[in-house]
Amino acid sequence: MPARDDILNRLRTALRQPELRFPPPETHRLTADDRMTVGTAEGDRWALARRFGAELETLHGTFEIVETLAEARMAAIGRLQMWVAEELAGRRTERPEQPGDRDILIWSPDALPIDGLTPALSDLEFRVIEPQNLHDPDERERVRYARAGITGVDAAFAATGTVVLGAGPHKSRAASLTPFRHLLLVPISRIFPTAEAWMAKMRQDGTLTDFLRESRNVALVSGPSKSADLEGILTMGVHGPKILHAVIFDDIEAMIRG
Amino acid sequence: MAVINLEAPFKERVANALGDSHLAPAVVRATDRMLQARHKAMNSIDGEGLRTQTRQMKEDVLRHLPDYLEQLERNFQANGIVVHWARDGVEAGEIVRGIGLQNGAKTVVKSKSMATEEIHLNHVLEQAGLKVVETDLGEYIIQLAGEPPSHIVAPVIHKRLEEIAEIFHEKLDMPRTMDPTEITSAARVRLRNEFFGAQMGVSGCNFAIAETGTICIVTNEGNGRMVSSMPKVYVVVMGIEKVVPTVEDALLQLQALTRSSTGQQMTVYCSMTSGPRQPDQPDGPEQVHVVLMDNGRLQMLERGYGEALLCVRCGACLNVCPVYQEIGGHAYGSTYNGPIGAVISPALAPEIARFKELPHATTLCGACRDVCPVKIDLPRLLVDLRSDLVEAKTNPRVEQLAIQGYVKAMSSREMYERGGKFASVASNLLAGLTGGEIKWMPPPLNGWTDHRDFPPFAKKSFREWWEERQKLRNRE
Repeated sequence: MPARDDILNRLRTALRQPELRFPPPETHRLTADDRMTVGTAEGDRWALARRFGAELETLHGTFEIVETLAEARMAAIGRLQMWVAEELAGRRTERPEQPGDRDILIWSPDALPIDGLTPALSDLEFRVIEPQNLHDPDERERVRYARAGITGVDAAFAATGTVVLGAGPHKSRAASLTPFRHLLLVPISRIFPTAEAWMAKMRQDGTLTDFLRESRNVALVSGPSKSADLEGILTMGVHGPKILHAVIFDDIEAMIRG
Repeated sequence: MAVINLEAPFKERVANALGDSHLAPAVVRATDRMLQARHKAMNSIDGEGLRTQTRQMKEDVLRHLPDYLEQLERNFQANGIVVHWARDGVEAGEIVRGIGLQNGAKTVVKSKSMATEEIHLNHVLEQAGLKVVETDLGEYIIQLAGEPPSHIVAPVIHKRLEEIAEIFHEKLDMPRTMDPTEITSAARVRLRNEFFGAQMGVSGCNFAIAETGTICIVTNEGNGRMVSSMPKVYVVVMGIEKVVPTVEDALLQLQALTRSSTGQQMTVYCSMTSGPRQPDQPDGPEQVHVVLMDNGRLQMLERGYGEALLCVRCGACLNVCPVYQEIGGHAYGSTYNGPIGAVISPALAPEIARFKELPHATTLCGACRDVCPVKIDLPRLLVDLRSDLVEAKTNPRVEQLAIQGYVKAMSSREMYERGGKFASVASNLLAGLTGGEIKWMPPPLNGWTDHRDFPPFAKKSFREWWEERQKLRNRE
């Protein structure tokens, strides 16, 4: 008998035994009404934005909140310039420039909540890379040394400082994973109080399961990469980004004004 | 540093652990820290509610496990995931090796996984000529040192920074440094090469969602995302009990797990894979395989230890266990250690007696039950195991005879009183020889006095004392 049928048959037989010690004969599946919301966050969109930022800070990330799309674009570009300056200053060699210093992995413009970033960054002599196929050896090599990544978010949870990053045709996973520094563009309309609230909304809209399946990969990310494996001492940036910065901006006002 | 020999007899392993003066302080420091974080994270919310709901969800899964597994399989396949089933570790190992060889893999990057530890997958793949690289920082360190993990979530909990520095110096030819940041970045650079070069990634599975066919793995370092995203082939080895019905159930278990384990509200990364990349996606694996593995889980259910299948592998019961804190993980001599290991190691093993000492390596204090995120009644399971081990006659012959004798004596008043008198006289005689406490008893009782003293029996039995007391009272 194939292993599959063998396992399933044996399992069914075992579960039919009336004297089986565990599980109990009657169990109850959790219903939507039963379900608890584990963490909580309250308030208007600005309060949620501040809470998200505060949670991100306790996770060793940083954030800034701005009001308009134009300000967000400025903040993002300013941050990337600052990062390059910071890295160069931190190196103790005579010729501190290294390959990849000015390379940025980015989601395609279609998937980013702010337009005009790529031309603006190119003008400032950044090399902006939109990954097309990471299994191509040349591209893989280019991606490998990029020091920064820029992505949007599918959702953010205020209570835990978490962002949801779904993969997609224009949404490279590498942009949020392989670079040393990751810049998150967070539209305020995407901030939910909790993960539970986001799921409830997606479930109600009938999009939750399709989102997971069609993305093929969804990452929940809460802060920069870290480890406490060395005697419990916190070290940052083990495999994923060491620096995580969120630019939170008000897209709702922009939507209202059209 | 104590020599780690998992094949040594249990007593010797414990003696080795206790003889290592650095071990207990290191383990106590780390486990106390995790435990405090756990208490804070559970007390800041309705922790009791979270535990109750997670247990309810997991109980229901186990009750309907075959149906959920079939749903999971259907959805995996609909997403383009290749599903394999394995009765035991040998089958699972062969499947993974086969996938590796078929795809011409030379290097395999792994995210820390207890299921693959359980089946010694690294060894199987290495035998087939593949290079296997553990990528969790702690797991990488112990792989370099040639040791097994000593904690379910913190594999290198037993090592001091000095030792880790020495390992990096010796194995990676790195200048000796005690700076954790430097050690971490050395590992980052080296493992980065492996992530970009490996043809295959392997991980376990924290939970898989039946309604969407999704594999979820949690890490703090990001290695889980790396192994599931960078190589062309991604293979998941999961125990059949890891399925959850819905996305909401996955979120519930995620929070119960992270809050109990390290006290985090969420881990840094939860990577959810629902199949190979779509043709228009820039990155992700081209093949995803899942091995649904039994390897003793069914037998655990059949033997009456199904409750332990609720375990989410958070490690909280290890952190709170006074025995684990003293002896660390290696003394258990099994993949799973601490209180949960003392239950599932014998229950999973083909011969229940294979780890017969472990159910006794506990004080039954119950602290583990109180922190368990799914409220597994570990002390009760441990007592059940002790009882099953007696019924299987795995305890020493002398003990069996002694218990039989005891049963006889207890069933007759006269024999009971005579036995009591004898024990009192004999024990006081021995105590007299060694000054107050009994430091030596004749075989077969010397097993006890080898390690601890034994108090002598009272000179008067309770009945004698009571009779005298009543007489005195009546006189008044």
